[in-house]
Amino acid sequence: MTGADRQRLRQVRAAILGNRPDNSMSSALYPLYVAVIAAGTYGIPASQQLFRSLDKRWVAEHVGTPAGAVVAVTLAASLLTLVLLVGRFHGPVVPPLPYLEMVVTSPIPRKVTLARHWWLSLGGASIGGLLAGAVCGAGLAIAGVAEPIVLFPATLSGALFGVLVAEIWLQGQLHGQFQAPMLASRRGSSVLSRRRNALARLDITGLRRQAASNVTIGGAALAGDIRTIRLDAARPTTHARHVRLRPSSPLVVIARRDLLGLRRAPGSALYGLVFAALGSAGLMLSLQSPRTPTMAPLVSLVIAHLGFGAWCEGLRLHADNSGTSRLLGLPYRDTALAHLAVPVSAWTLTTLVVGAGLWLTGLVDPASLVWALGTGALLAGTHLMAAFRGLPPAGVFGPHAGVPAMIFWYAKPLLATLVVGTATAAWAARSASPWNAFSWLLILTCGVVAWGLGLVGKRDRRS
Amino acid sequence: MLGRRGTTAPAEPPVSEPAKHVLRALGAGKKIDEAVLLLPTDVDVGEGECVVLRGPNGSGKTTLLRILAGTVPPSEGEATLDGSPIDERDDLTRTAIAALIGAPATYRDLTLVDHLVLIESTWGNVGEPADDRANEILELLEIDHLAERFPHELSSGQQQLFHLSMVLVRPSSILILDEPEQRLDTDKRDLLTRILLDRKADGSSMLIACHDPAMTEALADTVVDILLA
Repeated sequence: MTGADRQRLRQVRAAILGNRPDNSMSSALYPLYVAVIAAGTYGIPASQQLFRSLDKRWVAEHVGTPAGAVVAVTLAASLLTLVLLVGRFHGPVVPPLPYLEMVVTSPIPRKVTLARHWWLSLGGASIGGLLAGAVCGAGLAIAGVAEPIVLFPATLSGALFGVLVAEIWLQGQLHGQFQAPMLASRRGSSVLSRRRNALARLDITGLRRQAASNVTIGGAALAGDIRTIRLDAARPTTHARHVRLRPSSPLVVIARRDLLGLRRAPGSALYGLVFAALGSAGLMLSLQSPRTPTMAPLVSLVIAHLGFGAWCEGLRLHADNSGTSRLLGLPYRDTALAHLAVPVSAWTLTTLVVGAGLWLTGLVDPASLVWALGTGALLAGTHLMAAFRGLPPAGVFGPHAGVPAMIFWYAKPLLATLVVGTATAAWAARSASPWNAFSWLLILTCGVVAWGLGLVGKRDRRS
Repeated sequence: MLGRRGTTAPAEPPVSEPAKHVLRALGAGKKIDEAVLLLPTDVDVGEGECVVLRGPNGSGKTTLLRILAGTVPPSEGEATLDGSPIDERDDLTRTAIAALIGAPATYRDLTLVDHLVLIESTWGNVGEPADDRANEILELLEIDHLAERFPHELSSGQQQLFHLSMVLVRPSSILILDEPEQRLDTDKRDLLTRILLDRKADGSSMLIACHDPAMTEALADTVVDILLA
């Protein structure tokens, strides 16, 4: 970057600001201020409460072992993979569209015009990591799980992990663009030179696409329209176009449609399989001992909910289509139920395979397997709720409601999974026979499914 | 006939023996609070008849089509199919009426031919006939070369032809179409006119909102002018 470039960019910023004062620094510092307050007020109490709720002996038995290290590394690698994928759709360098059209397309070097946005993202990620590390460290120290000195390595590790997240995020953005990274080959191909030229390698088409998507998703988020966010973030399907849907009876063809949809989105199918396998395994294992922390079934259910959801795209697309001209010869509700056939079958099959493996190795008993199979019905009900919940009611946008009300409204299906699943699983793990708790799981699942069907009926009447 | 390309044999008419139905709006109007979407209007669509609605933008043509497709109830007057109130949730209504009012539901992970097979199958047409019908309709609309494309890979005119194919492939005796000519070039408008004339000759009734004078001239038995509210 030359002095002339910096001078030109200063002039551009002055032209953009006009007579208004430059308050970009305070705009950047305000979220930091809010994050520090939130970390202190909510983060540390929640963290120490979480560590207090864990059985210290159980933690000691698992955390210090190689298996614990493998779990930690796997979690970190999964998070970084997720960040890489997110970067393909929404990277760390996404200036507003007018800035892109008028400044980034100018002859000023791209690494100059985009530097400010990159440093903001890098700063945000590293400070976010630092705060997360500090919250975890403080929680461990206050709960007495570790010595207070743990605060320093935890904070430092968090900050370094934040920097790594920002770098991976940028690499994700680079991989998501259409143009080949030609500048890298021109200026050397070492990792260091590629890293140095990362901003210069961002092409205008990819930046425009992400900026436009930013506007759409931002507007949809303000309006609570999660459907628009999902459809905007999804990549268009292009796989397996030569595979054709085979004609079948009305209900079977809906299930075949969903199978074909998963074949054309192999990432979703695989993600669903891995998460469903992990979730069902975690759930079955958590039922084996009364000493298992309540967190274990809770985390397992979150993972299972996500895995089952990856198989429910057909159901969500059916819900998305309400209000348009109907061309299918099946009633709306029957179509919705038919869309559950594939995810429920996939869950059942996955659970049977995982459960059989765990049973043969003596880690779980058959009752746990039956339990995990029953949880499939609960997941079907909560995903019916999720797909057909529609837009949030006007009250959620009221002056007395705010963001927590909207989050609660959206999280209701997940909360239903967690409340019903965790409460009954904790009861089953702590009682001599799990069957009373299992009966309640089935009864509550019926209620959840009825709730979901009620929402289907409501969308049917409105469309 | 019907603008098919090449020398292959002409397609069979999509619907051979449509059931006979009478669609009627009697003083049907729509008001939401103080906003008048449609002034009270009379429309009568008899067996094998084509009624074309005309009128300026905002006069309520689409609202009237929605009322007669049973997706919106009138706030005054009545809309009936064979003398009974029209409701899209009623199986008999859905069986009789195929409507294209706005973009229909599509699945982003299905190709064009998959959509048609899905629709055919849900109407009980299974096995090879469903495949054949899907291919016939695509050929009829001259979009058979797009059979394995996904909806997001189509131009706006191709999208319109695809949406028309989804309505034409399903069995029905009454077609309700809202500006079917939109985004189509002159050749495709002529092609569509010929297809609709064939459907009419086979006994289908039609209610169409249309701004194309040539299509209106060719298709309409009756023209209803909707007044601006």
